[in-house]
Amino acid sequence: MAEVQAEMVANVWKVVAAQGDTVAVGDTIVILESMKMEIPVLTEDAGTITDLRVAEGDVVQEGDVIAVID
Amino acid sequence: MTVIDNRTATGSARALSTEEPADPRAPRIRLETLFDDGTFRPLTAEDKSGALAGSGRIEGTPAVAFASDPRVQGGAMGAAGCEAIESAYDAAVRERVPVIGIWHSGGARLAEGVESLHGVGKVFAAMTRASGVVPQISVVIGPAAGGAAYGPALTDIVIMSQGGRVFVTGPDVVKSVTGEEIDMAGLGGPEPHGRRSGVVHMVAEDDTEAVARARRLAVLLGHQGRLRQAEVSDVDMAHVLPESPRRAYDVHPLIDDLLDEPGLELHQKWAPNMVTLLGRLGGRTVGVMANNPLRLGGCLDSLSAEKAARFVRMCDAFGVPLVVIVDTPGYLPGVGQEHGGVVRRGAKLLHAFAEATVPRITLVTRKSFGGAYIAMNSRALGATRVFAWPTATIGVMGAPAAVRVLGRKKLAAVPEEERPALEARLVTEYEETVGGLDRAVELGVVDEVIKPAETRTAIARAIAEAPPARGNHGNIPL
Repeated sequence: MAEVQAEMVANVWKVVAAQGDTVAVGDTIVILESMKMEIPVLTEDAGTITDLRVAEGDVVQEGDVIAVID
Repeated sequence: MTVIDNRTATGSARALSTEEPADPRAPRIRLETLFDDGTFRPLTAEDKSGALAGSGRIEGTPAVAFASDPRVQGGAMGAAGCEAIESAYDAAVRERVPVIGIWHSGGARLAEGVESLHGVGKVFAAMTRASGVVPQISVVIGPAAGGAAYGPALTDIVIMSQGGRVFVTGPDVVKSVTGEEIDMAGLGGPEPHGRRSGVVHMVAEDDTEAVARARRLAVLLGHQGRLRQAEVSDVDMAHVLPESPRRAYDVHPLIDDLLDEPGLELHQKWAPNMVTLLGRLGGRTVGVMANNPLRLGGCLDSLSAEKAARFVRMCDAFGVPLVVIVDTPGYLPGVGQEHGGVVRRGAKLLHAFAEATVPRITLVTRKSFGGAYIAMNSRALGATRVFAWPTATIGVMGAPAAVRVLGRKKLAAVPEEERPALEARLVTEYEETVGGLDRAVELGVVDEVIKPAETRTAIARAIAEAPPARGNHGNIPL
């Protein structure tokens, strides 16, 4: 089990993946908006998204879990 | 321990090896693996000192190395073993060649008491004297604990294999003092040191890969080569940038385009918003430093500034030209950053660049704003040459953000529906008068606007035309 975390304070601009999706290393889970930039958050682990904890418009803090991949 | 000449050492080693069949952990075996076949010559005797030193060649490049001997007291460092390491350093400094340490040591020898501590301290002093004089590479294959932890830490580049463990005090002591329960790998293995502490520059899958990386680094730093401009052809790097200027992207493909072949990245997972990497351009070793917009939007922050500062100083100390690729929205705002010393650590990067004498070329691909603009090898800090792509914007902040501050009153005075049009007009005016790439060229802070398709040759030419230079300083592990 691996967690995809937010690296910085940001708005969740787009949720690209969905719970239950199978993902490969480097796939985009969400796109955050911060520092006037759209920053894709990629997974470093392959597997299935068992938990997707954010929705578009949410604010995430540094270290917040975005998704859990099993 | 006695220092002996090569002939005797080779003879006695043969006698020893017939008695004891090869143990893969034996320092002699590890050193023979590190050097080109048949080139290893011991500098010290194969005895119970706990370390063996020797010289040899790596892809033909001369180098010196030493290895701890985990078969004797777990590789613990006593006075004699420390002398062996010192003799490796003496030889490396005398010959001006890289020195590589293969670490597998539990620390200072308990049985020798303060004598072993004194010996370990002398090793640290030898490492510091050699700092910036010859490249120092450490390969941590087993534990490097206690005193042995600081051996690798004082060197320029630390490679850790999967079995490597670096810590000052082990899990048992940690538990008895703080109550924290953690195993050796969790405390000081590749994961914490590669990602969180920054102690380790490179994590290798296994010992073979760790040694292979040390070999490549020794050649990159020990035999830097001459830049052959004629062999540098252009690649159109434009494909790397996304269509939207707001969209973050991974900078690695751009670096791959720039170099002859993929380089060796240092601190890949630690402070990944700044990429630091050694590779070759036109056959010559160069250091590449790049903001990575995919991580933290490419912001500079306290860790990445410190990482970059150390890299700049290492390259400068060894005469490795730098290529600095800039796409950063600025410094990362936040309480954590300020309290974490972003000012103190950011100052290290300013200092590192301002004192560097090595040729250093800047390429601004997209954004370069504020304090981060200055820190990323700006003209003011002494950049040899500053290039910008036509897509570049340079300023205190982006034009729209600047206009919202400067034109706040004007914008507030008009009805809301007219604001977007007014803002657009103010942005154009701002770019014409203050911002914009043309102004940067006019001021001389950008030398030339170049196309992505002519970048490789432009950077190669700028390095080739700059007089070679090398900083006269050590490489303190910042």
